Amino acid sequence: MTAAAGRYRLGIDIGGTFTDLQVLDEATGRVVTLKTPSTAEPEEAVAAGLALLDARHGIKAADIGFFSHGTTIGVNTLLERKGASVGVVTTRGFRDVLELRRLRLAATNDLFVPKPVSLVPRRHVVEVDERVLADGTVRRPIERDAVLAAARALVDLGIQAIAVCFLHAYRNPEHERLARTWIAEAHPGLYVCASSDIWPQQREYERFLVAVINAYIGGRLRAYFGRLGARTTALGLGCRIFSTKSNGGVMSVAAAAERPVETLLSGPASGVIGAAHVGRQMGEPNLVTLDMGGTSVDVSVVRGEVHYGTENTVGDFPVILPAVDVSAIGAGGGSIAWLDSEGVLKVGPTSAGARPGPACYGRGGTEATVTDAYLTVGILDPSAFLGGAMTLDADAGVRAVEAIGRRLGFDRWRAAEAILRVASANIYAALMPQLARRGIEASEFSLLAYGSAGPTHTFLMARELPFRRLIVPPAPGTLCALGCVVADLRADFVRSLWRDAREVTDAELVAQFGALETEARSWLAAENVELEGAFLLRSADVCYTGQSFEVNVPIPEGPVMVGGLADLFHERYERVYGYADRSSPVRILEARAQIVGVTRKAAPNWPAPKVDGAVEPMGARRVYADEGFVEASVYRRLDMPTATAVTGPAIIEQYDTTVFVPRGIRVTIDPWANLVGARA
Amino acid sequence: MSEDKVRLEILANRFQAIVDEMAQVVARTAHTVFIKETQDYGSVLVSPQGEVFAAPRRYGVLMMIGMPMDTAIARVADDVRDGDVFISNDPDTTGGMCTHLSDVFLWKPVFHEGRLMCWAWTFIHMSDVGGRVPGSIAPSSHEVYQEGIRLPPQKLFAAGVLNRTLLDTFLANTRTADQNWGDMKACLAGLATAERRVHELIGQVGGAAFSAGIDQVLDYAERQARRVIAHVPNGTYTYWDYLEADMVGLGLVRIKVALTVADGAITLDFTGTAAQVRAALNIPTFAKRGHWMLITGLVNWLCTVDRTVAYNAGLVRPIAVVIPKGTILNPNPGAAYGARYATSHKVCDVTIGALAQAVPFELPAVDSGQGSILLVSVPDFATGGTRVSVIQPIVGGSGARPAEDGVDGTMVLLNFLRNVPTEMVEIDMPEVVIRRYGLREDSGGPGKYRGGTGTVIEFETGSPYTSITSRCMERYLFPPPGRMGGHPGTTGYTLLNPGTNHERDLGKIDVLELGPGDALRIGTQGGGGFGDPFERPAERVGEDVANGLVSVATAREAYGVVCAGDGALDEAATRRLRADHLPSHGAYAFGPAREAHEIRWPQALEDAIAEGLADLPVSLAQFLGGRLREVIDRRASTDPTEVPALLANLRSKLGQRPTA
Repeated sequence: MTAAAGRYRLGIDIGGTFTDLQVLDEATGRVVTLKTPSTAEPEEAVAAGLALLDARHGIKAADIGFFSHGTTIGVNTLLERKGASVGVVTTRGFRDVLELRRLRLAATNDLFVPKPVSLVPRRHVVEVDERVLADGTVRRPIERDAVLAAARALVDLGIQAIAVCFLHAYRNPEHERLARTWIAEAHPGLYVCASSDIWPQQREYERFLVAVINAYIGGRLRAYFGRLGARTTALGLGCRIFSTKSNGGVMSVAAAAERPVETLLSGPASGVIGAAHVGRQMGEPNLVTLDMGGTSVDVSVVRGEVHYGTENTVGDFPVILPAVDVSAIGAGGGSIAWLDSEGVLKVGPTSAGARPGPACYGRGGTEATVTDAYLTVGILDPSAFLGGAMTLDADAGVRAVEAIGRRLGFDRWRAAEAILRVASANIYAALMPQLARRGIEASEFSLLAYGSAGPTHTFLMARELPFRRLIVPPAPGTLCALGCVVADLRADFVRSLWRDAREVTDAELVAQFGALETEARSWLAAENVELEGAFLLRSADVCYTGQSFEVNVPIPEGPVMVGGLADLFHERYERVYGYADRSSPVRILEARAQIVGVTRKAAPNWPAPKVDGAVEPMGARRVYADEGFVEASVYRRLDMPTATAVTGPAIIEQYDTTVFVPRGIRVTIDPWANLVGARA
Repeated sequence: MSEDKVRLEILANRFQAIVDEMAQVVARTAHTVFIKETQDYGSVLVSPQGEVFAAPRRYGVLMMIGMPMDTAIARVADDVRDGDVFISNDPDTTGGMCTHLSDVFLWKPVFHEGRLMCWAWTFIHMSDVGGRVPGSIAPSSHEVYQEGIRLPPQKLFAAGVLNRTLLDTFLANTRTADQNWGDMKACLAGLATAERRVHELIGQVGGAAFSAGIDQVLDYAERQARRVIAHVPNGTYTYWDYLEADMVGLGLVRIKVALTVADGAITLDFTGTAAQVRAALNIPTFAKRGHWMLITGLVNWLCTVDRTVAYNAGLVRPIAVVIPKGTILNPNPGAAYGARYATSHKVCDVTIGALAQAVPFELPAVDSGQGSILLVSVPDFATGGTRVSVIQPIVGGSGARPAEDGVDGTMVLLNFLRNVPTEMVEIDMPEVVIRRYGLREDSGGPGKYRGGTGTVIEFETGSPYTSITSRCMERYLFPPPGRMGGHPGTTGYTLLNPGTNHERDLGKIDVLELGPGDALRIGTQGGGGFGDPFERPAERVGEDVANGLVSVATAREAYGVVCAGDGALDEAATRRLRADHLPSHGAYAFGPAREAHEIRWPQALEDAIAEGLADLPVSLAQFLGGRLREVIDRRASTDPTEVPALLANLRSKLGQRPTA
């Protein structure tokens, strides 16, 4: 990229248990994947990964020309409530915006639902006299002395950062900017941000929260980026470092330090970006992605492009910045099996997580998990886990399953299969409504499974799930790292209009989108990256006046007119809801722009044998499936040539996962090294 | 046997997937304006016999598991065919399945090889179904005919063919025909999805296993419910509270329950509850077992005590109901029902109040009891019409829980309710400026665990003829009770032009007109406290003070904690104050207002009045009941034994039918 020297593109995804690396050699298309245990200080795992790349594959840090990585520091700081002490300066009368939230509580039918706790205690929220109205006019001017007194009071309480959050600042940011400037001048060194700077969208709770989260997690992320830069420079890395974003793109770590809130959902987003990349290569535009790891199952939808949402949540908090639309639908391979008071078998939602992990990890876990069930039925080879890097304690896993079995009156195999069937039913029950929410018919989509357990489990559900095909990509355990490698630079911008279309002139609309474009292009220019190209995606959120269902309407290139936008809305509305009322007035809510700076990517060239033809299994394993034992042929994924077809029962082992193919399912290796399965 | 318990969990999951998917389809395509805020729709699967065997837990109205479908099914039973879709919104002909006309139900039989396997069932609260007021619901309506068009159960589609006449007639009698048809199409899409998924499931497991699965999940939930109930000591627990119907001129309406627990079963006996009212506050339960408007408290308790319970009608099988005909909870046909929510919430309060005597640490103190939606309308000078907008849901705090404070600013029992961003309100209605929207300080009932605070909203209007509507305001007279030594919360208030020299306390409002420059401040109730406040750790009281949620004075008087405005404790003074305190763990604290009322109106007198009116024709009971209260109110004191004579006297004064 800027340093044209490096031939390698490196993506690193830092997860709770493992740090995953993928390297793409731009000269040859060769791909290298690695997993190394995550460390308390994430940069140590990065350093360890770089050392392994050199030691095992001869890839020097100095030859890396692009390095993009995803970190969970931001999201964990928020979830674990370990962020900075943030103060808020806000409009008189609105001290409790963060306390009231949007009222709605997470749990239903639970009289003891935990009380939500704000990120900012009420005593750290100070009101000042100022008021801007909905049309941007000033009802009450702001006064410097009042702002400074408020800031002083907060600093005296020991807060470390201040978020300035005023009503209607998305419309007229003047008061917020004045207050931010005054506070910054009076308290140099204190982190100060304003809600209209970070994300100027209408709806105060969500906008204030974006600014508060930004202030809350910023300190820890900036410190980490500083350490990471120093550590990797010392190892010889000469290229700039990029951070992945919730929107699936990347930004420089300098940009990330300014807007850390944009990294919150980057982990799941990267996986979907990687999945979409695989889909594009193989010519499958319609994907449902299923990421099943140790502690969660995440789903998303790709329809040509990844699907964005603006109603994502992190813990208790809504995050309205556009993010790849990923839904957590349950626990993963670590889900614990148990019996309720009626003796009914349940799986999850409690997870053994990474610590202690499944019983077979031998880290002190004693409860049977889904992973222990894979092991017990014979899908997993205890000596071949992670390419043999980790040995499973088969006895411990089987013992845990047997304990459940005894209470069910089942032998270990039957108990293990029952656990897997219940886990499948759980996933089905959570997945299907998510597809309905997005208006998707499963039979027109393929399911792409990744994560450590996704490939193991996916074909077990093939009989129930009505998808066209099931796909397991070549390196499913490190797909997020692939997402880092292939990501483009990407940034989102918004302007809230919230006005009836008939009151908006074409000139105003042109001006709004013009301002968005200027902002977007200057962001990209500031990133200063050598690109293959850049494009701007414009859209508007539009609804019928008085209705609460908005539709995001993409706007084609060229001048944007109010009438044209309304027509596009009617068309799109009709497609979604089956009818449109062209005589009803239309309201334009948000004007949006996303700038994409396309990075250079060579096509990955997976090391698959070139010769087509049959493949010999490397062995066979007895697996309990469908209430009986079957002999499953065992294959090594790397040995399977393109166009090979295997019919279940079969096991396909690879470095980062194990795939099980039950009877009645046939899988083929496609030209891009994907396993593609369908009912035989 | 064990295999059944694995298959049961798998089928329960598959059933859940179908109803959740159906709910998503309905919610995504519905047209009703406030569906995102109020979640007022439902989608369930119903057994051929009429029991809800799967219901969503995260989407829509949550108590559908207690909806009695039997009468509606029986009415159409002789002619059910593949492709039929039935419709009704009528409480009187569905035996209490519908509880007011605004909820329009659609349901569809699902067949397999010619056999009825189950029903898919949906409803949606429509914006308007006709009647005397826009939106169809007014507390002052006193007969169902004022509340809109009634559709007894009948076919909207017969074997897939739409009954256009029926549809057009229905829509022509509503003010929002297009929206309503949009809502119906959303329901139809949900039903179609459910039918397809049921067929897929039967294709995978077979019809016999599907049918057996329905019975198994229902029995499973019933066993779970009975096991939970079985740990409650046998006995009869009595509790009552009052619906504040003074704003429709009906004074305080007593809701009374005797809850009997006997070996894993519960009977709710509402004998002694007030006669049905000439207002839209009646609930048409038809005294059905486990009726959904009676069980909110009990089902929430079941689900809280045992988080694994299956969520279906099996849960309410052990809940029998006794309600005399002609009472507000079992009115005669033709009564008005529109605003029955306030009554239903009061029923929830009394069932929890009764059960809490048996299992005090499994239930919270009482919440604000008010789930009102504040609407504003102003003249639209451009069109000559009016513009209507929601300002906010007007709800108060949750009751404190046995081991945690109540939630501030909202009610656990109305967990789905969402507020509206102030910025959105002011864009929708530029005539209105919100001056304040936040927590109501010092309003949560003191306790070892503090009741959730209420909220305050204050706004001003710049428009002439600004009309404010807020249905179902409650607890302006009696605060939410505290429990186990906790203090009651606070009552609500409405102030016109607060802080000016023409400030006025308006009490509960229904419809109010404001002019340019007028301001209104509404304070909602803080929830009741739980446990003796003197046992609350002083640091937590100090923290509440520092956060401005408890005043320095309340900290000292109610909690025995001496601290400064920033929460800094005076530990020595606190110790002294707390040392003199006598522990207080009274089951309930109702507050002075209710105590004074009950001295004037003892329960024996209330019982005598209820008994005296019980066998009279409804309109006579309503009339004489009102007069009797006036008479008693004028007397220095009245012994319950005097009631029959007083009644007879009043009755004798009624005019004879004029003779020719």
